[in-house]
Amino acid sequence: MSRGRDAALPQGEITPWIGFGLVVALALAWCTPFLWMLVAAFRPDRFGSSAMASLIPDYAPTLANFVEAWESADFARYYLNTIAICGGILLVQIVTMSLAAYAFARLKFPGRNLLFHLFLIQLMLVPIVLLVPNLRTVAQLGLYDTLAGVMAPYFATAFGTFLMRQAFQTIPVELEEAALIDGARWWDLIRHIYLPLSKPALLAFSIISVTAHWNEFLWPLMVINSPDNRPLTVGLATFTRGAEGAQAWGVIAAGTFLVIAPLLIGFAVFQRRFINSFMASGLK
Amino acid sequence: MRQFLLKGAMATLLAAALATGAAAQTKTEIELFFPVPVDGKLARDMTTMIKEFNEKHPDIVATPVYTGSYDETLIKTRAAIKAGKPPAAVIMSANFLTDLVIEGEIAAFDDLIQASGKTNDQFMAQFFPALHANAIVDRKVYGVPFHNSTPLLYYNVDHFREAGLDPDNPPKNWQELIAAAKKLTKREGDRVTRWGIMAPSNYDYGGWILQALVMSNGGRWFNEEYGGEVYYDTPSMLGAMTFWSDLVHKHKVHPAGEQKGPGVSTSFLSGQSAMMLLSTGSLTHIRDNAKFPYKVAFVPMNVRNAVPIGGASLVQPKGLDEAKRKAGWTLITWMTAPEKSGWWSRATGYFAPNKGAYELAEMKEFLAKNPDARIAIEQLAYAKPWFATYKTVAVRKAIEDELQAVLSGKKQPKEAVAAAQKAADEILRPYVEQTALKLPATN
Amino acid sequence: MAEIALAEPAVQSKRVAALRLDRRHLLGLVLLGPSLVFLAAFTYWPVVQVLWQSVHAESRAGNVYVGLSNFAAIFGDAAFRRALSNNAIYAVGTVVPSLVLALGFALSLARSNALNVVLRSILFLPVLVPLVAAASIFLFIFLPGVGLLDYYLARLGIQGANWLGDPDIALYSIMALTVWKNAGYYMLFFLAGLQAIPPESYEAATLDGASPWQRLRYVTLPYLRPTIAFVLVIALLNVVTQVDHIFVLTKGGPSDSTNLLLFYIYQQAVEHYDAGKAAAATVVSLSFLLALSAFSLRRMDAGADMEGGRA
Repeated sequence: MSRGRDAALPQGEITPWIGFGLVVALALAWCTPFLWMLVAAFRPDRFGSSAMASLIPDYAPTLANFVEAWESADFARYYLNTIAICGGILLVQIVTMSLAAYAFARLKFPGRNLLFHLFLIQLMLVPIVLLVPNLRTVAQLGLYDTLAGVMAPYFATAFGTFLMRQAFQTIPVELEEAALIDGARWWDLIRHIYLPLSKPALLAFSIISVTAHWNEFLWPLMVINSPDNRPLTVGLATFTRGAEGAQAWGVIAAGTFLVIAPLLIGFAVFQRRFINSFMASGLK
Repeated sequence: MRQFLLKGAMATLLAAALATGAAAQTKTEIELFFPVPVDGKLARDMTTMIKEFNEKHPDIVATPVYTGSYDETLIKTRAAIKAGKPPAAVIMSANFLTDLVIEGEIAAFDDLIQASGKTNDQFMAQFFPALHANAIVDRKVYGVPFHNSTPLLYYNVDHFREAGLDPDNPPKNWQELIAAAKKLTKREGDRVTRWGIMAPSNYDYGGWILQALVMSNGGRWFNEEYGGEVYYDTPSMLGAMTFWSDLVHKHKVHPAGEQKGPGVSTSFLSGQSAMMLLSTGSLTHIRDNAKFPYKVAFVPMNVRNAVPIGGASLVQPKGLDEAKRKAGWTLITWMTAPEKSGWWSRATGYFAPNKGAYELAEMKEFLAKNPDARIAIEQLAYAKPWFATYKTVAVRKAIEDELQAVLSGKKQPKEAVAAAQKAADEILRPYVEQTALKLPATN
Repeated sequence: MAEIALAEPAVQSKRVAALRLDRRHLLGLVLLGPSLVFLAAFTYWPVVQVLWQSVHAESRAGNVYVGLSNFAAIFGDAAFRRALSNNAIYAVGTVVPSLVLALGFALSLARSNALNVVLRSILFLPVLVPLVAAASIFLFIFLPGVGLLDYYLARLGIQGANWLGDPDIALYSIMALTVWKNAGYYMLFFLAGLQAIPPESYEAATLDGASPWQRLRYVTLPYLRPTIAFVLVIALLNVVTQVDHIFVLTKGGPSDSTNLLLFYIYQQAVEHYDAGKAAAATVVSLSFLLALSAFSLRRMDAGADMEGGRA
C-alpha cells in the first residue's frame, strides 16, 4: 500500500476519534486470549487455586508445561507433517493453476466459458463440505491415512486459477509474442515470463494457501489415523481432549503456543508482506 | 509434480523397508488403538508398556496409536476397518461392543480361547463378574476387560469440616446428599462462590452419570439381553432425572446447564465445588493434583446401591489375517494378565478387571497406602453392566439432549423422558424391525 | 491491482491466436487437464455421489433406493431443524458484527502510521491461529467458575454464566469466538478497498461541506460496495464450512443448541453411521452454496460489465 494514497484518508475525518479509542479498546480485548495463553503456559501451578485465570504472570515462570506438552505429543513430527502438507499442496497448486490460468488468460478454445464457470463452482463447493464422499474416494485411491490423501482434494484451485488469470492478463501480450518469435514454447512462456511477472499474486496466493492448510482440522482428522501422519491441528486436538478426566490447562496452553508460534513468528517477520498479500487477494 | 510426489513416496517406502531390514520379514507388525482417559502422561505410560511387550515378544512389533476420546476411538476404528486397515487390537469403550457386534465389525475370541485350552467360562472367570455382560454378546466373548471404572463421589474434607459435616460419614442416600450439599454451598449475595455438588452432563459423560442415578433408583436403563430396547420413559428414569433437576433448580446446590467433565474436575480441584460425581478413572489425576485432603465414597442411593461399570475392553476387528490376529491376541492376553493389569490400574486409577491383580504384593501395598482406591473396588460389588444398544452413541445422545435441557431449565423431567424415549425408539426402529418385530408371515 | 480490468483475453491475443489457432485450441484443453482431473475427482464426482446416496439407504443388504425418504428423515429430525435454524442465527450473528467491526477497524486504521500498523497486526493475529487452537484457549476462557471470563467477572462481583453449557448462551459464545477469529481478516479487504477510493472524491465532498458521517454514507460506502459484497460471500462461506470450534468446545451440545449443518453431517456420517441422512443433509448444504455462488457470480459478471465487458 502506498503512503501517498494513505494521506488522502485523514483519520479523524473518516472516523471520529471516539471510534478510534473504541478500536484501541477492542484491540486490547482481541489480544487477551493470547495473553492468557502465554501467562498460563509459563505458570508453574496448574491446579492450586482459582487464580489459574489470572493474567498477571507468576514470579517464577517455568518451562515445565512445555516439557510436558512436548513429551506428551510428538510435536516435532506434527510440524514436519504440516509443513509437508502445506508445501505439497502449494507446489502442485502452483503447477495446476498456472497452466489453467494461462489457458484462460491467453488461449481461445471451444468451451472456454463453460469450463471457466465449471472451475468457479469450486470456489463455493469447497472439498470440506463434500467430506463424506471425498473420504471414500481417498480410500479407494489407496490414500487413506496418508499425507497425500490430505492434500489431494486441494490440488486444483479455482481461487488460485482465478487470481493468476487476472495477473496474467495484465502482462503485455507483446512480451509473449517476442518470445514466440525467439522460438519459445508455452512452458517457457509460463516459466520465464508469466510466473516471474506475477510474483505479487503468486505470493499472495501462497500465503493464503499455506495459512488455510496450516489451520485445517476436520479433513485431516478424517483422513489420518496413524499418529505419525498427524498434522499439528489434529495432534493438538487429540492432545487437548481426554475421555474421562480433567485437563491440564497449563499444558494445553503450552501445546497451543507450540502450534501457533511458527505462524506468529512468520507474521512478526513478514508482517507487512503478509497483510499486503491478504489485501491483494481481496481484489477480485 | 505428481510424479515427483510419487517418487518421493516410493523413496520413503524404500527407505522404510531398508531400515527395518530382513528381520522384519518374520515379524508380525500390528497396531493397537487406544484412547487416553486422563491426560498426556498416560499416553507415555502406554508407550512404555508396549515397548516392554515388544522386547518380550521378538516376533511381534506392536505400535500404540493414540486415538483420542472413547467416541473418537470408535470412529477411528470404524474408519480404519472401512479403509481395509483394521488394527489388531483396540481398547474400546465397553458399551460399544454390542453395536460393533450387531454391525458385524468385531470378531469373537472363542476359537482363540479354545486354542489356549480353556472354555469361555473358564477364561472369563479371571475377571470380576460385573464386567462379563459388557464383554459377552450372545454367549460369545468379544471383549477382554482392560481397565474399568465406576462413578464415585469425591468430596473435599476441609469443606466438610468447615460446614460442620463429618468427613468420615459421607452422604449415603439422596436425602443426605441434598442436606450435605445445602450446607456446603456458599454464597456471596446472589453469587455462588462454592457449589455443594457437581456432576458432568456433557455428551458421553452425562449419560453414564445419569445411569448411575437411575440404577441407584432401582432402574435398568436398557435391556441387557437385547440391543433394541431402552427404558427411558420409566419411573426410575423420571425419578433420577427429577432428582438431578432438583439439585439445580429446587435446592440450588448444583450449577445450571450442561457441565463438562474437565470443568467439573477443575472446579473441584480449585475448591469451587465441595463434592463431585466423577469416574474412578480420575482418581490418580485428583490424587496428584489436589492441594487439600479429599475422600471418596459410594454413589449415594435412593432405592439400592448400584452403579454402571465404565472403562474399556480390548477388542479385535474382523478382516485381519491369521498372523496379525494371533499376534493381537498375544498382546491382548499379555495386557490383561494380573501383573500388567495391576500396574496400569495404579498408574491411572481405573481398577484392574483381573481379580488376580489384587492378589499381588505390590497391589496390596498400594491399596493399604491409598484407601480411596480401595473404596472404588468395594463399590464394584454393586456394579452392573453399562448400557449398550444398537447405535449406542445416538441412543445415548437422545436422552443426553433431554437431560441437558432439563438441567438448563428448558424442560420438565416428565416431558423430557417421554421425548427421549420417542427419539431413542426412532433410532432403534430399523434394528427392531429386522429382529424383534420381524415376524413370520401369516397366510 | 484493483484497477485490473477483467478484459477479454481473446481481444488482446487476437494476433497470437491467429498465428497458431488449431494447436492452441488443443493446448488450452491440455493445460486445463491437470486441474480438471482433480476437480472431477474431488468436486464433481463427489457431488454426483452425494446426489445418488441421498436417495438411497445403506443397509446390510446393500444400497436400496428409498426415494426422498432420507430428506423426509432429516426434516423430521429435530436435531437437523435445530442445526438449520442455528446456522441461520449463526450466519446473521457472526457475519453482521464481523463486517461492521471489520469496516470500523479499517476506517480507523486506514492510515499507515506505526501505531495503526501495530493495531492492525493485533486485530489480524486471530486469523493466523488454527480454529482448533483458538477453541482450546476459549475452552478455558469460557470455563464456568474458574475460567478467564468468570474469574474477572467475579472480581467485579458479577455472577458469570455457564458460557458453553447453557443452551441459551452457548451458540452466542461460539459466535463471539467466530467474530474474534474473522473480523481481522475481513478488515484487510476493507483496508484494500479504502485504498482504491480516489482522494478527489473526499476533497470534493469536504468542499461541499459534508460531515464525516455524510462522507462515510455518500462517498466511502458506495465505493466499498463491491468489497462488501465480496466479504459477505467469504463470510457466508465460512459460516457453512467452518465447524472446528464446535468439535473442541461443544460437540453440538447442549441439547443440539450449537449444532451446525456441517457438524450435523459429520455426526450422521461418522457417529450415527447413517450415510443416507448425511448425504441428504449435504445436498441441503450444497444447494445453499450453489445459491451463494449464483449470487456471487452474478455480482462478478456485473462487475466485469462495469469494467469493460466480457464475452
